[in-house]
Amino acid sequence: MIHLLPLLLVFLPLVPALISFALPDRMAVWRDAINISFALIKLAVVGFLLLAAREGVITEWRYEFLPGHDFILRLDSIALLFITLSAFLWLIATVYSIAYFGRGPHLARFFGFFNLCVLAATGVAMSGTTITFFLFYELLTLATWPLVVHKGDEKSLRAGRIYLIYTLAGSAAFLAGIVWLKSLVGTIEFTAPPDLSGIPRLELTLIFILCIGGLGVKAALIPFHGWLPEAMAAPAPVSALLHAVAVVKAGAFGIVRMIYDVYGIDTVSELGLGTPLAVLAGATILYGSFRAVMQTDIKKRLAYSTVSQVSYIILGASLIGPFAIIGALVHLVHQGIMKITLFMCAGALDNRMGIKSVADLDGAGRAMPVTMAAFSIGALGMIGVPPTAGFISKWHLGLGGLQSDAPWVIAVLAGSSLLNALYFLPLLYRAWLLPPSAKLASVRELDGAWNRMLILPAAITALATLAAGAFATSPFSPLSWAKLIAESGYLK
Amino acid sequence: MTVAPSLLLPVVILWPILLALLCLLPKLGPRMLLALPLAPLPALAAVFLAPRDQTLSVTWVLLDGGLRLTEPGVLFLSGAAVLWFWAGVYALRYMRGDPRARTFALFWMLVLAGNLGVFLAADLASFYVFFALVSLAAYPLVIHDRKPASMRAGAVYIILAVIGETALLAGFMIGAHAAGGTILIDEIRDSLAAPRADPLVLWLMIAGFGIKAGLVPLHVWLPVAHPAAPVPASAVLSGAIVKAGIFGLVTFLPWGSAWPISGTLLALAGFSGLFAAALYGAMQGNPKTVLAYSTVSQMGLLMGVMGAALAAGLSAASVLPAVALYALHHGLAKGALFLGVGVAGKARGVVRGLVIAALAMVALSVAGLPLTAGALTKSAIKGSAGDFGATLIGLSALTSGLLLARFLFTLPKAEKEDRLPGLMVVPMVALAATALALPWSLYAAVTGKAPYGTIDFLALGVSAWPLGLAAVLVIAALGIGLRAPSLPEGDLLGSVARFNARAVAAAQAAASVGGSDKPVETARTWPEIWDGLERLERLINDHAASSVTLILIALGLFAALA
Repeated sequence: MIHLLPLLLVFLPLVPALISFALPDRMAVWRDAINISFALIKLAVVGFLLLAAREGVITEWRYEFLPGHDFILRLDSIALLFITLSAFLWLIATVYSIAYFGRGPHLARFFGFFNLCVLAATGVAMSGTTITFFLFYELLTLATWPLVVHKGDEKSLRAGRIYLIYTLAGSAAFLAGIVWLKSLVGTIEFTAPPDLSGIPRLELTLIFILCIGGLGVKAALIPFHGWLPEAMAAPAPVSALLHAVAVVKAGAFGIVRMIYDVYGIDTVSELGLGTPLAVLAGATILYGSFRAVMQTDIKKRLAYSTVSQVSYIILGASLIGPFAIIGALVHLVHQGIMKITLFMCAGALDNRMGIKSVADLDGAGRAMPVTMAAFSIGALGMIGVPPTAGFISKWHLGLGGLQSDAPWVIAVLAGSSLLNALYFLPLLYRAWLLPPSAKLASVRELDGAWNRMLILPAAITALATLAAGAFATSPFSPLSWAKLIAESGYLK
Repeated sequence: MTVAPSLLLPVVILWPILLALLCLLPKLGPRMLLALPLAPLPALAAVFLAPRDQTLSVTWVLLDGGLRLTEPGVLFLSGAAVLWFWAGVYALRYMRGDPRARTFALFWMLVLAGNLGVFLAADLASFYVFFALVSLAAYPLVIHDRKPASMRAGAVYIILAVIGETALLAGFMIGAHAAGGTILIDEIRDSLAAPRADPLVLWLMIAGFGIKAGLVPLHVWLPVAHPAAPVPASAVLSGAIVKAGIFGLVTFLPWGSAWPISGTLLALAGFSGLFAAALYGAMQGNPKTVLAYSTVSQMGLLMGVMGAALAAGLSAASVLPAVALYALHHGLAKGALFLGVGVAGKARGVVRGLVIAALAMVALSVAGLPLTAGALTKSAIKGSAGDFGATLIGLSALTSGLLLARFLFTLPKAEKEDRLPGLMVVPMVALAATALALPWSLYAAVTGKAPYGTIDFLALGVSAWPLGLAAVLVIAALGIGLRAPSLPEGDLLGSVARFNARAVAAAQAAASVGGSDKPVETARTWPEIWDGLERLERLINDHAASSVTLILIALGLFAALA
């Protein structure tokens, strides 16, 4: 029975997806209830699996869908980390989306694809082979597109078009890479890296560049980051999900898999591929932060911030060392909860008060104190102020850089912290210290169930941001999981 | 009697944080002013009850660190707790009816928690948490009145604070790595003391702590930020919070190993601050600014001594007790002087005379008049400063004397309808009395010597000549009606700001820090090249399909070449 759980976990969101597509708008209440219930069920299943995994049970489901091609879903510890994050944030984002859209048009379509998107992200996390990974990775691309263009205006359509061009080109490169590699060594399972010793270095290097380049598009590595700021045309809940768990994370997660489970750290070090990737990630971190400082639109500023922050994960993964990989894995989770907080707050500010640009923020803290408090915690986390989660990430990444003889990482992290302060602190300054404009005065932040559903999800993730940092060494913290993963196989 | 440290040390920090949370409750908020004096009480209890040098391991929290109370830590903690207590009493009267009382109480509690926590942290992560809490939560205190000058002071403050935090974090990371990945402060200091340790760690730490403690030339925020805050907040900023930086140096500098270059540089910066800040401060018109410069000057003395001791490789045991004692006296005395500004502004007639007399006594002690507590702490610290340093410290009585005389003459006058509340007088008197008495009772225990074995009045009188000269100069100046010139506060800040005016304005506008109500157009203020970046990205996306193809072709070519 337990070996069916991976299958159940992946295809659980299919039920609310199909129901959402099918239900007419007058039954929206039912749609909402079913969406929330399934998110809760999924969280419960993940909780059960977490307990099982602590006792060392790794569940797996495999099926030979073509001769020689196994479809494998495998719940190893790193998959669990990602899935726990996505299950938790899915629930949060579902509640938030329901409140955000209220009873707007096209919501059947929205929630249908929303669930498919979660399905794909879960599949990406649990894929046990490169081919399985690719299937879900592509499904993710396709399921996200309708969300990006949800508004249907010109800007959204442009964003959607650019998104598809970038990601499909990336997928093509990635596919070419994994097929090439498969033709050389056969099916690659993410259990132990295959023996690559007989393959010419040039070929291995090219395949690596193809794969990382392809995955790097979704992870918004420069110069492939251009689609992400455009995708800000999407509604806030979509941005929140995209930036926190779905698209960019799938790319970063794929890069971690490539380095640790496909090539293996020995091969990557031997080929000398880690350092160039780390340098590219470092450049992305600084470039993204620079561009964020220049933005006047809040969501666009957050988008460039994501470009920067996701590369922390890639930086940690490519440095190859105990603290670096812990930093990368823990930031996978931390960046998710912090960024979803920021986007949900940005969406709430827009939704309730029409605040879109930095200049509109004046006095927002007076009108919506809970939202702005959550936003502040998320922002301080991004800067890396202790005791937030961001500090824990930064600490491990910095020490990881030193362990891997890459002291320049300290300079990158310090520079990024300063730039983060430069683009986040002014927002807090405006919101808390400048006098509010007249139209903001009448907002009652927490009146009524709808408003509470809009505001409280961000408050919860903000508290999680604090807790993940303040109690970083407690048994179920993201840091403890990251350490467990690092010790149980990612390091020798 | 000792209470289990596991109970007391966390309470020192958690209690003010709990009070801070209570400030968030809508009904309780403004009334939390009444709780200000309660916040440092567990710390006072810990001073007497908690055992020394026993680390309490705290698991599950942060990176598994701990809390402990070291010998120098006790002196810092007790000085800070006493000052926070009396300043709290003063504040509950002084801030009564203030429209932002709740915000004030909230951040007061947070800064207090961080300030006391710094003295207790046994590991890097908790130290950094507390240090950051002090730095960031003090910002709302600086800008409390929201006047344009305060907002500018706040901007300078927060920029330097963030830079300082970043320098510290970098220093901590490199230091922790060099010590084998540990986060225990003692082990990191030991690894710094080992031969061929990386001086970069030291410099980053000196920069980070130096910013907080007002090390010239990183002090520029201090003379503008300290006076901007309300009187009781100025008192704790100048009396207790700068000590977090001093304590950082006390805790992290590798005592016992000689660092000739780094130590000499620190000594130079410190001693130049000792004189330059005093002279510049003597030409200020605002009594709180004068006092802020006095803080820069006095902290310069402490850091100069520490630099000299580091250069000579003196042991912790021979340096730190005297440094801690000096810091204790300065904190209490400076607190009393700051509170005195508010008291003098409401006192008239005989009472005003008494107040000024009391402040003059404290001021003379700070300047080092023989047989005062200040002279006692100075004599204790001279031993670590080397001959040259000791001479400089002796001479500094001249500049300190001038500075503090200036302070007494700039004190505000009371309006007719002003009444002097007892709740403001008592804290000032109590702090002044503690400052003048406590070093006497601690001297023997801290330094192991009796204060003034035999009093040689002649030698004492001779050694007081710089202060005497200061008195003569002041009297002469008064006699011929010479008035001190009034220079703008912020010294180097002025020239730096002029030098960078354009760049700063551009950065502020783009980051929208401006503080103006009108939205600022970003694009125009950025240099052309960054504008170009925006256009370039747009161009690429406008032709996404062709540019992606181009990138792929370029990659292919690159791969083929490789």
